[in-house]
Amino acid sequence: MVNDLPATQLAAKAEVSALSFYYGDFQALKHISMPVHERKVTALIGPSGCGKSTFLRCFNRMHDLYPGNRYDGRIVLQPDNTDLLSRDVDPIEVRMRIGMVFQKPNPFPKSIFENVAYGLRVRGEGSRRALEEKVEQALEDAALLDEVKDRLHQPAYNLSGGQQQRLCIARALATDPELLLFDEPTSALDPIATAAIEELIHDLKERVTILIVTHNMQQAARVSDFTAYMYLGELIEFGVTDELFIKPQMKQTEDYITGRFG
Amino acid sequence: MTDHASKQYDLDLGSIRARVLQMGGLVESQIRRAIDALGSGDIALIDQVIADDHRVNGMEVALDGDCSQLIVKRQPAASDLRMIFAIAKTVTDLERIGDEAQKMARMAKSIHQRGAAQAPPTVDVRHAAELAISMLRRALDAFARLDCDSAAQVIRDDAGIDSEFRAILRQLITYMMEDPRTITTALEIVWIAKAIERIGDHAKNMCEYVIYIVKGTDVRHTRL
Amino acid sequence: MRALIAKHKRRDVLFALLGLLALMIGILTFAALFVDMALRGFGRLDLDFFTSFPSRHAGQAGILSAWVGSTLVMAVTAAFAVPLGVAAGVYLEEYARKNWVTDLIEINITNLAGVPSIVYGLLALGLFVYQFGLGQSILSAGLTLALLILPVVIVATREAIRSIPQIIREGSYALGATRWQTVRYHILPYSSAGILTGIIIGMARAIGETAPIITIGALTFIAFLPPAPLQAEPPYLSFEWLLSPFTVMPIQMFNWTSRPEAAFQANAAAAGFVLVAMTLAMNALAIWLRYRLRRNIKW
Repeated sequence: MVNDLPATQLAAKAEVSALSFYYGDFQALKHISMPVHERKVTALIGPSGCGKSTFLRCFNRMHDLYPGNRYDGRIVLQPDNTDLLSRDVDPIEVRMRIGMVFQKPNPFPKSIFENVAYGLRVRGEGSRRALEEKVEQALEDAALLDEVKDRLHQPAYNLSGGQQQRLCIARALATDPELLLFDEPTSALDPIATAAIEELIHDLKERVTILIVTHNMQQAARVSDFTAYMYLGELIEFGVTDELFIKPQMKQTEDYITGRFG
Repeated sequence: MTDHASKQYDLDLGSIRARVLQMGGLVESQIRRAIDALGSGDIALIDQVIADDHRVNGMEVALDGDCSQLIVKRQPAASDLRMIFAIAKTVTDLERIGDEAQKMARMAKSIHQRGAAQAPPTVDVRHAAELAISMLRRALDAFARLDCDSAAQVIRDDAGIDSEFRAILRQLITYMMEDPRTITTALEIVWIAKAIERIGDHAKNMCEYVIYIVKGTDVRHTRL
Repeated sequence: MRALIAKHKRRDVLFALLGLLALMIGILTFAALFVDMALRGFGRLDLDFFTSFPSRHAGQAGILSAWVGSTLVMAVTAAFAVPLGVAAGVYLEEYARKNWVTDLIEINITNLAGVPSIVYGLLALGLFVYQFGLGQSILSAGLTLALLILPVVIVATREAIRSIPQIIREGSYALGATRWQTVRYHILPYSSAGILTGIIIGMARAIGETAPIITIGALTFIAFLPPAPLQAEPPYLSFEWLLSPFTVMPIQMFNWTSRPEAAFQANAAAAGFVLVAMTLAMNALAIWLRYRLRRNIKW
């Protein structure tokens, strides 16, 4: 269910309507409808296998990379009313507008500079000067520049786990995405690195809409403005985070966030 | 409500709730003994009430500690969070009630040691005290059963104690005007009445927490 | 308890000794052959041996035409096998849908790697020599050996590509890259070490192949070199050498071993030593390249 939302001006960056998703014959997502509000952080929570990552990966058509997957329903991206799931929309275009940060830091085995520049190169940016400028800006935005500015041309693998993840965030930011997807971005990191990423997410929402999947409910409570609870491929409850963690409307949500048997 | 995946969590939470009720029982008996002693003049009983306040204080400290422990270990959310939060506040109110009972006992001791013949009657005070005890008992019941309806009833009943207090005050003023020699004792009775009125307020607070636990809405400073 | 542990440890030592023995049988046999060959052929190994054509006089015979032939054939083999094999491997891993057709192709490729080399020779004789009219030339031989090592190159390419974690691909696609951009910037660079290793191992196998080359009719006695690929006059480049008759190292060796004179046996041993040294050098190059290229790649 979608809870009553405050009547303040909330612009929707994306509107999910009646989304179902199938891995072959298996229906992984069942008729999901919810908004993703512009310049807000929306968290997806739920037990393992509830479909939250599957849902996230619909937004950048990641499922198109593998055969036998099928979408049903719509995810309409604003301001231009593009249905991300439409057959007429090229997944490449979708991925150029929507960035993604993965569970495990996945820097390319290249230099720090080349990692961040990659998205720009893919878009045909050839000017060395423009590349340098944008790479630096992205690293700055990802709060990494100070730590790496003297070794931009060294391998990214020499960075710590938390730095690698911020590098991946910089890589996604370099191309100025409208929507940024985070798939459990801190599950492989220690508490300090986790706090740095959370701080970053908090700062980033000024300029980009964020959708984050997390295993950690406290993290959802800390970083998000809205929270969606999913279970067995269904959206059980969507609401304002502050309310959902104090007084959820649905018993299933209550049982999950208080750690009771489902 | 279904059990937590962690058995120990259930046990910890259950133990805290049981001890809140225990503390409530002790506090209730403190008021009861203080008001009885006011009638009978049993100085030994009064001393016992005054001495027992440290037990109430000790329970408050222990329960606060347990709540902190539970929060840091379990990071309670939703109904558990509201429960722990409400318990921590309830415990504070119970401790204040304990203090009020101790204050009543002190006043009763002072009245009886003076032994003034012209003491104003304490019947109305005892009646108000019964009302307060009943409110406290029903508040604890509502907490034990998470019963919103009876909690709301207690909140409404608080107005009754407040008017009793004003009536007692008016009556004592007439005594004091008639015979200034009663003023010292009458003021002590006013203190007792005020304590009873405060006990009613604390019972009302506790009931508001019960509603917060169950419904998640904060009804303080609102009209039911 | 201690007795039990001691007993188990004795078995540990027993197995270690057994394994070492098995290893030694293999290594010592090879070492014995190699040393024997080196000793017998050592007297013949001088500069003249490399710069002389074969001769009826054992003392004057050399391996010039053989090693030049081998080198040119290898060049042709690499020129065909590498792009075809790598492209096929990349296609199978990155582009082809996984269904029964690709399964069938996969099984066939694995089987092709196990087909006896003489069969490739027969195929090449029919197809390249007669059907395409390429004759008994360097080009035919190179194509034949390219066919022979193609499965090795494809399998090595696929294995190398498969070792790239999926999350790297997803990272690239998530930034809006196309398949080709992903292959060009990630798949090929990161798998190059494995692919190169596969190519070199394949070439090392090809350089020692005799049967298919004989089948397509390489000459056993050849006293001239193919036309040089670089000319003094325009257009400077010449591809005439591709259609030239030739011989290769193993055939030269075979030719000498079939002679009755003992002196030729020494020649054969010397040529064998050179051939083994070439193969080992190629393997060493493969190991060195793999080490170098993988230094900056950690998953």
